[in-house]
Amino acid sequence: MEPITGKALVLACSAIGAGLAMIAGIGPGIGQGYAAGKGAEGVGRQPEAQGDIVRTMLLGAAVAETTGIYGLIIALILLFANPLVGLLG
Amino acid sequence: MKETAKLQIKIIKIDLIILSVLIIISFVFLENPLIWAKGYIFGGLIGILNFMLLAKTMEKSVTMHPAKARSYASVHYFIRYAIVGVVIIIALKADYLNALAVIIGLLLIKFIILFTNLFNNKEYYKRIFKRKGER
Repeated sequence: MEPITGKALVLACSAIGAGLAMIAGIGPGIGQGYAAGKGAEGVGRQPEAQGDIVRTMLLGAAVAETTGIYGLIIALILLFANPLVGLLG
Repeated sequence: MKETAKLQIKIIKIDLIILSVLIIISFVFLENPLIWAKGYIFGGLIGILNFMLLAKTMEKSVTMHPAKARSYASVHYFIRYAIVGVVIIIALKADYLNALAVIIGLLLIKFIILFTNLFNNKEYYKRIFKRKGER
């Protein structure tokens, strides 16, 4: 059996790290769904406030997405442009 | 796009202005300005389209039954997430785009929302140091 090289170890750990970073994408999905459900309830209770509800929800949802995108960026950098492999020399 | 049209147009206008400023800065100060400019344009346009898609989803979801709205919003979030994923992969793989510029372009619209609706409000800073009961 061949010994594990430093590069292989870094790549394997990067893949695990990428997988862990992708967990960040689940939270905003659940949160946005919950917000949309509550927004629909609010509009059902007070239809004249639909404009305000949608505007507030839009701003909140757009900001909430950011953290998910951060996780995605980290995961994809670890997979496709790994800066750690270059440090091995 | 009826309820949120004004808000969308306002945010997109600011986004386009900042993108053009960033492109001009890259042409003045950077060595490879075309790669940065292409990255800003690509990321910025996808960011704007994503924001418009989000607005469309939110407008439609509030007219649905709450349980259906929940799954509709979540499914559409993952569709947008996949689009962003594809864009970032292209940015990292392609030589003719700067990955950092694409990421800045994608996230710019979110920072604009934060700065135009939250950080410019003095009440927000005052409320940080107040306890929950005092509010």
